[in-house]
Amino acid sequence: MTARAAPAPLPPATTVGLQGWLRQNLFSSWGSSAVTIVLAVVLSWVVVNLGAWVFVEADWTVIISRVPLYIVGLYPYEGYWRLCICLLLISVLLGMSWRAWPNAARRFAFAFGVIMLFVGVFPHEMAPDHRALLLLNLPFIGLGYVLTPRPAETSPGRFEAMAGSALAPALERVAIFSTPRRMVIAALVALVLTMILILGIAGVPGLDPVNPQDLGGLMINLLLAFFGIVCSLPIGVGLALGRRSNLPILKVACVIFIEVIRGVPLITLLFMSRHILPLTFPEDLNIDRVYLAGITITIFSSAYMAENVRGGMAAVQAGQTEAAQALGLRGWQTTLLITLPQGLRNIIPAIVGQFISLFKDTSLVYFIGMLDLVEMGRVSVQGNQEFIDNGREVYLFIALVFWVFCFSMSFISRRIEGVLGVGRR
Amino acid sequence: MTRLLYVQGVPIWRNVVALRWIVQIVSAVVVLSTIALFLLNVAREIEARDIPFGFTFLDRAAQIPIGEAVIPYDPSDSYLYGLLVAGLNTIRASVLGVILATAIGILVGVARLSPNWLLSRIALVYIEVFRNIPLIVQLLFWLTIVLTLPKVAEGYVIAESIFINNSGFYMPWFEAQNGFWPWALITAIGVVLAVYAFRGLNRRETETGQQSYPLLAAAVIAIGLSLVALLILRPLAIDIPQVEGRFGRLQGGAQLSGSFLALLVGLVVYTSAFIAEIVRAGIQSVGKGQTEAARSVGLSGMLTLRHVTFPQALRVIIPPLISQFLNLTKNSSLAAAIGYPDLVSVANTMTQIAPAISLFMIVMVSYLSMSLLYSLIGNLYNRMIRFKAA
Repeated sequence: MTARAAPAPLPPATTVGLQGWLRQNLFSSWGSSAVTIVLAVVLSWVVVNLGAWVFVEADWTVIISRVPLYIVGLYPYEGYWRLCICLLLISVLLGMSWRAWPNAARRFAFAFGVIMLFVGVFPHEMAPDHRALLLLNLPFIGLGYVLTPRPAETSPGRFEAMAGSALAPALERVAIFSTPRRMVIAALVALVLTMILILGIAGVPGLDPVNPQDLGGLMINLLLAFFGIVCSLPIGVGLALGRRSNLPILKVACVIFIEVIRGVPLITLLFMSRHILPLTFPEDLNIDRVYLAGITITIFSSAYMAENVRGGMAAVQAGQTEAAQALGLRGWQTTLLITLPQGLRNIIPAIVGQFISLFKDTSLVYFIGMLDLVEMGRVSVQGNQEFIDNGREVYLFIALVFWVFCFSMSFISRRIEGVLGVGRR
Repeated sequence: MTRLLYVQGVPIWRNVVALRWIVQIVSAVVVLSTIALFLLNVAREIEARDIPFGFTFLDRAAQIPIGEAVIPYDPSDSYLYGLLVAGLNTIRASVLGVILATAIGILVGVARLSPNWLLSRIALVYIEVFRNIPLIVQLLFWLTIVLTLPKVAEGYVIAESIFINNSGFYMPWFEAQNGFWPWALITAIGVVLAVYAFRGLNRRETETGQQSYPLLAAAVIAIGLSLVALLILRPLAIDIPQVEGRFGRLQGGAQLSGSFLALLVGLVVYTSAFIAEIVRAGIQSVGKGQTEAARSVGLSGMLTLRHVTFPQALRVIIPPLISQFLNLTKNSSLAAAIGYPDLVSVANTMTQIAPAISLFMIVMVSYLSMSLLYSLIGNLYNRMIRFKAA
């Protein structure tokens, strides 16, 4: 006896499909319809005008003729291949991240490779060896991917399923970055290599030292933001612990440091460091302004980092501390083994957020006399009669570059939040 | 000898009280000596390298021009007065910026939650575009826009009284007449009365459930009183900007210079994107159950918003909002890059003659006091909204 249930009646056409969607989201009431129509008119006007400007009126020669200046500043042309190798190292790390945290890093790694591919094949003036090095980025992402074993909790991807069991043992043998420790070591090695490649070593042929003042363009923004975040993390942790400690003078000193740094604009700190920091070094040591900027940005960032860390540690449940005490851990053991690690896990999204704002803030180093991306743009407009009217093109281009970086980082941060389950545990 | 190291039979390195004291003293000595070492070192180097330092210069004539000033300024005025003028410029940009950024931020934040898909997407694009571009790039961009406006003679004129051109924005403004202060007093009294009326009617509405229109009543009292006084006393005359002289300079009315305009637009657009996110998160933080409960006890949509959603959202919104205000104030220092004479910009110019370190110490202390003011307001608010034990 098989009694067929009568098929459920279809919903009325006005609630599903395109028509239903339009009705629900754009024309749900008279007011909503009016808003939609007005906005649509304004939006199409803006898009048409903007499109006409971008593709017809704007003169992009000011950008195209000096792309390298915007990207790497006055970095010597002979050293460009070294920067290309740095990109390859980054590609390997991205490939590893893709494998280890597919949800957070996949799209980013892929986008990075595609952008490099695009730059590599885009018809413009570029030496063929640089072009080849850029094109290698995509394979290097694959290399990083293969060198990392599949995380235990994920199922095999399409590629592995295709390769089948024949390749599996080979893949397992190649996957050398099998523990977190090895991955950290790989990252550190890549970091050191990058620094050596960028700055060079005296006496090594092919690695001629580069004057730090010649570092510029987007590269210096990224480097300053990266080192600012990395160096400020330990200092920030120290300050946060100091602020939480019960040693009165230490606590007061930390509070004053944090609040003073957070209470003044970065631009005044940069100015002060230009005048005061050289005094703390011997007079004959002529310290380069890149390092002045780096130190200032680290100090600035560590105050904000300290507040992040403090917030993250405060969010750790009191039960954790009590449990640690019940197990007989001492005060410092409780902090270092229980509260701090959990607190740091809590603030990973905040650290990415701070990296984004620090990256934006590095655009202020012009005040200390450095040629970062923004200053390069300004110089190429204001210091050049030929391009004096092309300010809009230049600033829009710079805005676009910053936007792409900041937006993709905040995108990743949201993904990491999802992967770590912050706020859900 | 060994007796000394034992307290009540416990060796001193195992005595908790003694250990705590030792740690306190050691940490204090380390911290203080580090600070002292740093300061002494800097002080010694300042002397050794003949770097100018000190605050005696503040009384001397500054002899630098300041492009625009809220209070009258002349280059023969002292450095201190010059810094005050610059500080007022910073405050002018910050106050106007905070008001406009809050207004636009709330609009965009609410638009982000609109059921209208197009509106909420446009708000999303606004937020994501403007908060992900460094402020200085935005400022430089707006400055080029302002500078590409036509010259004064060919500039835009609206209704013969509003002028927009590459030297700035000019609009009619008021000029105080004889009856200004009595009128201001009456307006102030009206505002106080309105606040009392609002509170009273609001309480009545909450307690009895009768519709009492507190906002409407307060507005009628404040605006009505002020308008009546305005009509009787005639305290304000309208000053319309006029083109004067051979070079077509504009005189009179309220003038906003090009760089001020660029700074204001940049600050407002940048900060409002952050404020919009705060407002959105605040409104979303109020549980859906709250709205549903309010509707089920019979409150209308507007009343739900005013008595249930908004007061709860405000608790979440205000603290980060205040920190955004502080950010805006600090960010106004980027005016130095586009030529608006704010505190940093003027101090930077002054360093050509006056001691740089002293000048920037003053600047930093000024910003610090402003941020202390903001955190004071924040703390007062937090104390005000703290849940009171029933």
